[in-house]
This record gives sequence, structure tokens and C-alpha cells, in this order.
Amino acid sequence: MIHILLILLVAVIAFPVIYALITSTLTFQQAYSYPPRLIPGNQLWTNITQAWERVNFGRLFFNSTVISVVVSFVKIVLALLAAFAYTHFRFRGRSILFPMTMVTQMLPLPVRILPTYHLMASFHWINSYYALMFPFFASTTGILLFRQFFMTVPRDLSDAARVDGTTPMRYFLQILVPISKTNIAALFVIEFIFIWSQYLWPLIVTTTANMRVVQIGLKMLLASEQIAPEWNVIMAGTIIAMLPPLVVLIVFRKSFAEGIAMQSEK
Amino acid sequence: MKRVLVVALLAVLALSSFAFAEKTQITWWHAMSGSRLDVVNAIVDQFNATHPDIELTAMFTGSYAETLTKFIASYKTGTAPNLVQVYEVGTQAMLGSQAIIPVYQVPGMLGETWDWAKYIIPIKNYYSKDGNLWSMPFNSSTAMLYYNKDLFAQAGLDPNKPPTTWKEVEEYGQKLRDSGVKNVLSFGWPGWIFEQMHTTHNQLFANNDNGRSQLATEVLFNGDFGTMVLENWTRLAKEGIFLYGGPEYSANTAFKSGQLAILLQSTSSLAGIEKGSQFAVGTSFLPRFEGYPMGDSVIGGGSLWVRKGQSTKELKAVWEFLKYLGNTDVAIQWHKGTGYFPTVNSAVKALLDEGWFSKDQNFLTAFLQILSGRRDTAAVKGVRLGPFVEIREIERSAIEKAVSGVLTPKQALDEAAQKADQLLKDYAELNS
Amino acid sequence: MQEDRFPGHRFLPYLLILPSAAIIIIFLIVPFIQSVQESFFTTNPFGTKTIFVGLRNYMRLFASSDYHKSIVTTLIFSGFVIMIGLSMSLAIAHLLNQKIRGRGFYQIALIWTYALSPAVAGTIWALMFAPATGIVPYIVAKLFGGYVLNWMTNGKLALLVVSAAATWKMLGYNIVFFLAGLQNVPGELLEAARVDGATGWRTFWKITFPMLSPTTTFLLFVNMLYSFFQVFGLIDIMTRGGPGDATNILVYKLYRDGFIHMNSGSASAQSFLIFIVISVAAVIQLRVATRKAVYSR
Repeated sequence: MIHILLILLVAVIAFPVIYALITSTLTFQQAYSYPPRLIPGNQLWTNITQAWERVNFGRLFFNSTVISVVVSFVKIVLALLAAFAYTHFRFRGRSILFPMTMVTQMLPLPVRILPTYHLMASFHWINSYYALMFPFFASTTGILLFRQFFMTVPRDLSDAARVDGTTPMRYFLQILVPISKTNIAALFVIEFIFIWSQYLWPLIVTTTANMRVVQIGLKMLLASEQIAPEWNVIMAGTIIAMLPPLVVLIVFRKSFAEGIAMQSEK
Repeated sequence: MKRVLVVALLAVLALSSFAFAEKTQITWWHAMSGSRLDVVNAIVDQFNATHPDIELTAMFTGSYAETLTKFIASYKTGTAPNLVQVYEVGTQAMLGSQAIIPVYQVPGMLGETWDWAKYIIPIKNYYSKDGNLWSMPFNSSTAMLYYNKDLFAQAGLDPNKPPTTWKEVEEYGQKLRDSGVKNVLSFGWPGWIFEQMHTTHNQLFANNDNGRSQLATEVLFNGDFGTMVLENWTRLAKEGIFLYGGPEYSANTAFKSGQLAILLQSTSSLAGIEKGSQFAVGTSFLPRFEGYPMGDSVIGGGSLWVRKGQSTKELKAVWEFLKYLGNTDVAIQWHKGTGYFPTVNSAVKALLDEGWFSKDQNFLTAFLQILSGRRDTAAVKGVRLGPFVEIREIERSAIEKAVSGVLTPKQALDEAAQKADQLLKDYAELNS
Repeated sequence: MQEDRFPGHRFLPYLLILPSAAIIIIFLIVPFIQSVQESFFTTNPFGTKTIFVGLRNYMRLFASSDYHKSIVTTLIFSGFVIMIGLSMSLAIAHLLNQKIRGRGFYQIALIWTYALSPAVAGTIWALMFAPATGIVPYIVAKLFGGYVLNWMTNGKLALLVVSAAATWKMLGYNIVFFLAGLQNVPGELLEAARVDGATGWRTFWKITFPMLSPTTTFLLFVNMLYSFFQVFGLIDIMTRGGPGDATNILVYKLYRDGFIHMNSGSASAQSFLIFIVISVAAVIQLRVATRKAVYSR
């Protein structure tokens, strides 16, 4: 009984993407058939090549991948360092700095978009990787995640290290980081998906085609036809656009689920 | 010693001529997407091939709005392109920007002269100030009436006699509706069509000569004429004849799939509509209101603006390109590939001579629409407002409210006029 | 809790947080303050003239019916995404929490939509609802005697469609967190309730749901941020705020006013107002979370 329900849910939730996939295998005419066609065609490769060439997906994929990987990496490193500081040291200003970090959760991009844009312009970073990456290097999610985790690390571990004469940084690198692997992987999934999905910022901060990201490529694909959108080609582009984050999620799904579960524990 | 000097001199000459042989790099940002992009790229490639000392890079930078925003931002940081395409509603903003060189001054700056009379008058008028052309015409269109000949025939109407007045639209509409056509009439760009109604009947849309002699301080579209137009449309909606079709091009799909009998839309949609349509497409002029004077339909689309602060070499290169666009064959190539008007009279003549229009009468309608009206009054030369983008949206919103019955036409227009006047006031505050 | 585990290192902690703090100050806090500053001015697009106008941008917004409409639209949109999204996800997570064969498969098969970007979700739903040719209008026409479902001209419908698309995309994320939360509910408690004779429904409401409250409040906040901001791509691709203003949620209105109408003063004021809204929500969330946490002890 429960299986039937679950299978139904899986199908309903997957339906839009399945429909998109089918459409991406049709010709332009077939995509406009009425009643709408649910039988796959054989144009998948043609459509993919068309979409690829039309917006130069190769370059866009490169850009998106570079940005997503670099930003995720930097965010994780910065968050690890900051969380380490907040949980293993007592220092003046800790009680101010930490809440300040939390306040920034309430400052998503649109709340400060124009000045950040001007800032990029004044650094001459418009239309560069710098502009696409730097504003995202700060991660409150990461700091929170690692802080919570580090707080559960038994004091004995750090005490033993201290007694041994290990420096804090060695302790950090050789003990703390390795045991944080699951959380790191979970955060990587979250950040990769987040950066890959960025739309508004790349939209306003890139001007030339070679700096655009996959999401904007999708928009360009849609903008291509004023009158009759070429759904078959657009869907082919959409399918390609959704693959990398999907792959990341599937590859890291175990750590992702575990990391989140760890988060939820009291 | 002498020989060394000679060799050195030759070397210097060789190097300097190499430096001179270096290409002048110029950039052009535009908003032409889809098939228009292909035509743009073809023209740019041809230009670069025939002008080996220039390298023009054309970049598609998104929609008109995005292109303009990026231009402004880049201008402030000194990284703006040499040439930029701006939509017609951005004309006033560009005029007052102090960021451009009016195009009529460019030849003089380079020691050249140019025959400005070669450009089609209604287009030239739109982008002129005090009789001088400030931006180079490039992609201009106007609006016309498209209709589905098959549906007309089915309703017992003569498929070769489209409606010419709004009264006929109503009469034919009733017949079409009764014959089972779901929706008879719709528009693309409703705000623009509303303006077209004004200009085709020689009615001013805003004061100060439509904002052309000085900055407009109030809109006039909530006057008797505008109210009459909107009341007409509202009545047609109530009768089930007019269906509000959404902004921009959304109504095109309905027309192409045979669900709409009459469509008022940009002439640049012609090629797309005819391609793969399953019925005979007919075209005609925008319908008129009887008893009102003759005007002319108004230009839409965009034009090219030359950025201020360029080196003489760059300016010369830009000017070469602008001249190139004015070549008869290039103008024809642009028209045939995109459906926009060719910008020069010689191209129109050449097209007529080669019988282009007898192949497809519909292309002729577009031309005659713009060329057969009067061209002397401010009311027909085009509306020029600073915050035009926002005002177009305000117009559209008023039309929606009136058509859906939320407000009466007069209320909707008065509300819109109030908002528009406030915007004009703010604009004047910042731009005087 | 936060003891000094490595005493004697005076500078190291500052060094460790320096990169994060620097980024936060330069790229988040300073621009934010500037944005607030700009909200008191009006500037022409090319920046050739700036005028101090005090609170005028704010006053205009408060008086603007378009702004009111945008607020209402945002509330309806977010309300839909949050309420429908969270209830559906919770129900699905509950189903997934049973001990059944193939649970791993079902899990991944139900959370994968999280990996889709809002823009991708928007494109796909635009396809499904395409007026003349999409599959949903077709089904509706068949079921309701030829009714033409045109979301491009029907504002209410457009809002419904974008809300559904946004909710669909977030299901995966919500399910993952709810599942984790459910798995943390001690089995003994549920067992005890069952022994006591409580029905599944009662058990759920009296035991499970309260124990889920940290997860729920967290997801409420995240979904709120999502529906306020991250859905921008979805709206831009599907409707661009239209038809008319039907889907012109606050963040989109901000973009339109700032980048299309080039009214930076008003856009800055709108930024600040959104900030206030989220801050209030964040504070409420924090209060509720702490209070509930106290109760659940």
C-alpha cells in the first residue's frame, strides 16, 4: 500500500522533468503537436547540439563549474577556520563578532545589490570571475554548521593535543578537519547547488558572452524566439543545465543526508 | 655610420607602419536575439572583412533594458562600448545623458560631410532634435493589423477586405465571434498600440509637443481622445470581441495557432508569423476612428548611439560602420533578414524595383503604413518622455484595469496620468 | 559551552576569523549601509545629478498602490510556498520514515528536485503550462470542456503556477530536513504512546510535531528566504513580474525599479524595507525556537 503511494509520489514529482526530457527529443513541429506528444522522438542529440552551440554552453559550463567549485571550497575553508576560532578560543570581541555573522543571514544579495554592484565596478571587477565569486565567500550556514559540530567534539581531544604540545593549527588540520568530513561534504553539496543556481547576480554583473553562467545561458535560450519558443531545443538545454548539481547531489547523497541528520540532533 | 642610421630609420618606419597597420578595435553592444542575431553577425563579419584596418566586435548583451543598464554602469567606470543600441523609449534618457556624441556632429568632427536626407523621414524625425539626427536609425518597425484570411472566409467575410475602421472591426468582430472564433482581436504591446492610436490620428500624447520641444510636464492621454479609444476597447472586450493579450508578444502564439482572427502587432513579427503558419495571413493598416484627422503610425525598435570620449581613430571606425549600415545593399540585407524597415530611401526604391513586395504583399503594408501618413506635426513625430519605460507600463496597467472592468476607462486613464505626471516631474527635477 | 580550549593564543583566533570577517564587512555590511544611504537620495540613471530627498522614497512606497499590491502578492506567494511546501514535505518525509524496502531509492527519488535551480524549474513549468500547446492546458481543456488555460493573460493563474513551480522545486530540500528531524524522534516515545493506545494522528500531533519544531522553524526561515529572494530566476524566466503586476513580488519589483526603470533611490528604499521584514521574521523565529526548546526539555 505504502509502496503504491510512494511510487505515485515519485512519478508525480518527476513528471515535469520527464515531460521536459521527452520534449527535448522531439523536432520543433512535434513539440507543437496538439494533443501534446508524450512519445519520445529521436532528436535528442540534434537538439542538444543546437542548444549547445546557440549559447556556447561549453564556455558557460566551464564558468559555472569553476565558480561553483572555487566558491564552495573557499566558503568551506573560511567557515572551518571561523568556527574553529569561535569554539576553541576565548577572545575579546567574540560576543560581538559572532552575532554579527548571524546578522548577515538577513542580508541576502537583493538587499544590498546596487552598492555591491558599484563596488564591483570600482574594483574594475565587472564581468570577471572575481565579481562572480567574492561576494559569495562569506557563509553563515557554514559557520553555524561547523560551530555546532565542533561544540560536540569532546574536550579531551583538544586537551590531549594541547598536552602533547600540538599547535592549534596542527590540531585543526590533522584532527578536526578529518572528523568533519561528513559535514564538509554536506556543505559542499549545499553550496555547489546554491552557487550553480545563482541567477540575478550573474545577470547584472556579466556583460560579455564568455563570462556568462549556465543559468543565464538558459535565459538566452528562451529569449531566442520572440514568437514561438523552440521548446525542443530549450528543453535540451535545460536538461544539460540541470545535470551537474544533480550529479553532485547523487554522488554525495549519503554524506549530505548524514550531515543534515547530524545538524538536527540536539 | 650612415648605413646604421639608414637601417635604424627603416626599422623605425617599419615598426611604426606596423603600429599603424594595427586594427582599430571597437565594440558594439546590442539586444538583437534569435534570428536577428545571425543577421547582425553576418553584417559585422562582412564589415570586418571589407575594412581590414578595423575590428568591430558586436556583443549581444541581453534585452534592451539590460543592455541600457549595462551601458550606464560601464560608462560610469569608463568601460563602455563605442556604440550601443538603445530602445526607442530610452531616447530621452540618452539625449540628456551627456554620455553620447550626437550622430549629426560626428562627420564634422572627422572632417567629412554626410547626406542626412538619405534616411527615411519618419524614422529620421523620431530620433532628431531640432532637426538634427542624434542617434543612427537601425532597427525600426511600426504596428499594423494582421488577420487570418481563413477565419474571415469561414465567417462569411471577404478574406481580401480587412476592416479599416474600428466600427468595421466591431461589425466583422461580431460576425467572427458568432461563427465560433474564440477570440477575435488582440494586441501585442498594448501600451504602444494605445500610443499608435494617438499618432495615427494626429493627437498629442504629452504636452510640450510630445516632449520634443522641451521636457514634457504632463501627459495628455487621459483627454477626450484617449478616453474614447479605451472606452471603445472596453466595449469590444465586453462584447467578447477583444481579448487582452498580455504584454509584448504573448498574443502571437494565439494568432499563429489559429485562435485569434485579428492581431495588432509590430511589423517585425511578420516573418515569424508567416513562417509555418497553417493559414493565409493578411495584413492591413491599423484601424482608424472615423471623424478624426490623419496622422502617421509611430516608430518602434531602437537606434544606435555613439559614446562620448573616444579617440579619433575609434570614432572614425565607428563612423565607418554607421556609414556601412547606410549602404543600400546592407540596408536591404537587414530588412530581408529581420523584417525591420531599411533605413535609407535608396533601399526602399531598390526593393520596389526588384519586385520584393509583389512576392509578399504583407511586407508592403508595413511600409505603406509608415510612409503614407503625414510627417510634419509633433504629434506624428513620436513621443519623447524621460521615464518612458515606466510610463508604458502604467499605460498597460490602465488598459488592463479598464478592459477587465476594475475601473472605468476614464478612471483608469486619470489614475495613469497622475502617476505619469509625477514621474515626469521627478525626471525634470533630476535632469534640468 | 564555548570554553577556551587553547588558552594563550592571543592573535590566532583573530587571524582565523579575519578572512570571513573581511568578506562580510566589505561585501555585505558596507554595501548594505550604502544602500540605506542611497535610499535617502534620488539620482538620475547616468549619475550626473543626485538630490537629497529625505524620506520621500519611503513615503512614496507606503502610499503606492503598486507597492501594496506587491506586498500582498509576495505574502500570497510565500504563504503558498511555505504552507503547502512544508505540509507536503512533512507528509512525504513521514511516509519515507517507515521501515520499508527500497527506502534508499525512494529517498533519492523524492529529494532530487532540490538540485534544480529556480531558473530550470521555471523553464520546465513554463513548458508544461504553455498556453496553446502545453500539456496542462490540454488536460484542462479536455476535462473542462475546452476551457483555455492561459496563464500569460490570467494574473491569478500566473501566480498559482509560479507558486506551484517554486514549491515543487523546494520539496526535496524540505523532505531531507524533515526526514532527519523525524529520525531524531526517540522511538521509545512513539512506542510508549502506541502502548498507551494513542492513534497515529494523536501521536503525530502531541509528540512528533512538537519535537520537530526546531526543524520546522528552521525550514520556515529558509523557505521564507527562498520565496522572497532565490525564486528571482524562476519569476524572471516565467513571467517577469507579469502579466501586469500579478507576479511582481517584492524582490522582482525591486529589480524592475532599480534596473529597468533606473530608479535607484526607490530600489534602495525597497531593499531596506525587505531587510526589516526578514529581520523581524528572523527575530520571531529565534524567539519561538528558544521558547519551544525550553518547553521540550
